[in-house]
Amino acid sequence: MSATLAKGINSFKEVIDAPIASFFSSCVHCGLCAEACLFYTETGDAEYTPIHKLEPLRRVWQQEYTLLGKLGKMLGLSKPVTDAELAAWEPLVYDSCTLCGRCAMVCPVGNDMTYMIRKMREGMAASGHAPEDLVGATMRSITIGSPMGIKWPAVLAQIKHVQAETGITVPVDSPGAEYLVLMSSMEIINFPEYLSALSRIFKQAGVTWTLAQDAFEATNSGIQIGASDLAREIVSRIVVAAERLQVKCVISPECGHAFTALRWEGPNLMGRPFGFEVKHILEVLDELHAAGKIKTKGQDARPLTYHDPCQIARRGGVVEQPRRLLNAVAVDFREMPDAGVMNWCCGGGGGVSANSRAEPLRLEVFKHKKAQIEAVEVQTLITACANCRIVMEEGLEHYHMKVEVVGLTELVAQYLVEDKTT
Amino acid sequence: MKITQKAEIIPGTVGEGLAQRGVTRREFLQYCSTLAALLALPPAMAGAMAEAISKARRQSVIWLSFQECTGCTESITRSHSPTLENLIFDLISLDYHHTLQAASGEAAEQARMQAMKDNDGKYLLIVDGSIPLGNPGYSCIAGISNLDMLVETAKGAAAIVAVGTCAAFGGLPMADPNPTGAVSVGDIIKDKPIINVPGCPPIPVVMTGVLAHFLTFGGLPEMDALGRPKSFYGETIHDRCYRRPFYDQGKFAQSFDDEAARKGWCLFKLGCKGPVTYNACATTKWNDGTSFPIQSGHGCIGCSEPNFWDAGSFYQALSMPVTATPSMLAGAAAVGAAAGVAITWHNRSTKAAAKAVHEKVTVQDLTREVK
Repeated sequence: MSATLAKGINSFKEVIDAPIASFFSSCVHCGLCAEACLFYTETGDAEYTPIHKLEPLRRVWQQEYTLLGKLGKMLGLSKPVTDAELAAWEPLVYDSCTLCGRCAMVCPVGNDMTYMIRKMREGMAASGHAPEDLVGATMRSITIGSPMGIKWPAVLAQIKHVQAETGITVPVDSPGAEYLVLMSSMEIINFPEYLSALSRIFKQAGVTWTLAQDAFEATNSGIQIGASDLAREIVSRIVVAAERLQVKCVISPECGHAFTALRWEGPNLMGRPFGFEVKHILEVLDELHAAGKIKTKGQDARPLTYHDPCQIARRGGVVEQPRRLLNAVAVDFREMPDAGVMNWCCGGGGGVSANSRAEPLRLEVFKHKKAQIEAVEVQTLITACANCRIVMEEGLEHYHMKVEVVGLTELVAQYLVEDKTT
Repeated sequence: MKITQKAEIIPGTVGEGLAQRGVTRREFLQYCSTLAALLALPPAMAGAMAEAISKARRQSVIWLSFQECTGCTESITRSHSPTLENLIFDLISLDYHHTLQAASGEAAEQARMQAMKDNDGKYLLIVDGSIPLGNPGYSCIAGISNLDMLVETAKGAAAIVAVGTCAAFGGLPMADPNPTGAVSVGDIIKDKPIINVPGCPPIPVVMTGVLAHFLTFGGLPEMDALGRPKSFYGETIHDRCYRRPFYDQGKFAQSFDDEAARKGWCLFKLGCKGPVTYNACATTKWNDGTSFPIQSGHGCIGCSEPNFWDAGSFYQALSMPVTATPSMLAGAAAVGAAAGVAITWHNRSTKAAAKAVHEKVTVQDLTREVK
């Protein structure tokens, strides 16, 4: 078995649903989506107009699902979508779209281009037109368990390190716990602060939690590459573990697409509702803070700003929570222009950061984030997505900017009131 | 300050005519400034225009009237004497005009032949009324059919001005079912410059403005796709209407005698065709700048647009379908629903077929076989 054009076209036919049909038929070609897209505003290249990235899918819709299109196809007036065409579109679909969803916010007829790109990637992947790096990451997710090839021993090493540092035991596979905590590979490798911060916060809040040995990885390469069959397999690991341990809630970590994969796509992939809730870590922290279970003392004096990860704010609806938390722990919190649901993407979402071919373009479009940061004149940038964090750190490095990037969970833990006796 | 500059007077020119009538140069310059403004020419053009017009020979004009109501002639001659529109009318040599000329019968036709002979290739032909292509007897003058007279007279004309909607676009005679087979001037004459000055009737100053332009520059002004001078037909009535702010605020009169109508709100819902009608009524106005239909409380009927008689009721809002009846609408809905069901069924089977052949994607399926 291998990828073929026929499989890809068949997949296009399969993913075209009522929303996609209505989106294509209601597009008025106004071009407003271009102005909302980072890749267009920073390059001025009209090829990056979001709706244009969907052209092959649109043609299949027209040829297969519209009356005139069918007639045209019968009479040989319209050419079928070819392999060469899909190859030409591969960089548009994978390298220059971070699934950030900003275009969908400005579309006057309400077309959700992000939804369509996500679906279009199904056909791209099935026809063998997905970037090599994403194929590799998906392969590792399926065979090893994590896109970066991390296995449980690496997590275990981090647990040991955190326990030594905090003196708090990290629970593993503990049934009946309130929360199942997941992590992204990025946190396991680059940001051990996250697990350490969580241990301290949960201890203080007095809630029970656990990690699961067979489901520690929150990310889902199947979503990014666009292979629902694989995405289902990856998400089912978490669902199985959560139901086995009978937790009330699964916490999606500081990662953007992991939240989308588990919270929004998960139940649809599984074809059933979950027996537990899915929350982003910021939602949990905000709830604990509002309930008085965690308290903070002192405030950060540094001027700082907050980068809204697209999947968490725009696509996920978690907008107010980080602001309430930040206002509790920071004196000089400044909002960037367009902050909140209209925030600009870091440039590395939707699998772009995992795709080394896209790196020059990613650094080019980072100029927008750079300008946003410069506008508020801060040297501390808070965010809640490890992928945004690493992408922004690379961008800041590239443009020689002295700005530190910090995870919000970590920042909250820094000002946590801790009762050392319990 | 009254300066009566003695300009050089050349016998037989417009300038001589003006001098004879005791029109001062200042008055004439004022008139030219007004015309220049109306024609959207730069203010500096007024002097050049005055110069050109006063030195020009009196322009020979032949006016032919076909299937028409004489409303256009009424409009251009409707004078609040002495208006300057009338004045310039005296500056041309109107050699033939059924309604206005004193001569009749053979003498009248003789005048036309004489003017055509004396000014061959230079005279201006003005036409009002449409031309019947059916039985020539529907409309003829001195035994000559309209078609023959038009073709014969157009031959030696420098340019043709189609005055009124009938001459420009066919107008009322061409309205469904068009019993006489009426057509416009432009449908027949293809080898001469034609300018359309539509309206039922056109605004007097629009007609004289076009004539003045021809006298000054010896050619026709810039025209739109329908052959109308852009300076007068460049914008819609709606865009220049003083009631436009009400439209923008969604304030509409619902009937001609409700409170909203008395307050002067927008007449769109009462059938005003202002949004699709290009003409200068809202700015130039009628009767010496007194008023125009919308200002008098009635919507625009769109008289300067092609086929305006057949564009539905004057009192039906533009947003309403023109010809559909309730039973037609119901029928269309039923056909649409049936077609929708059929297409949905077909599309569903296409999608189901695609689903049926879906093979579960494994990681090995993400790459192509290397041959």
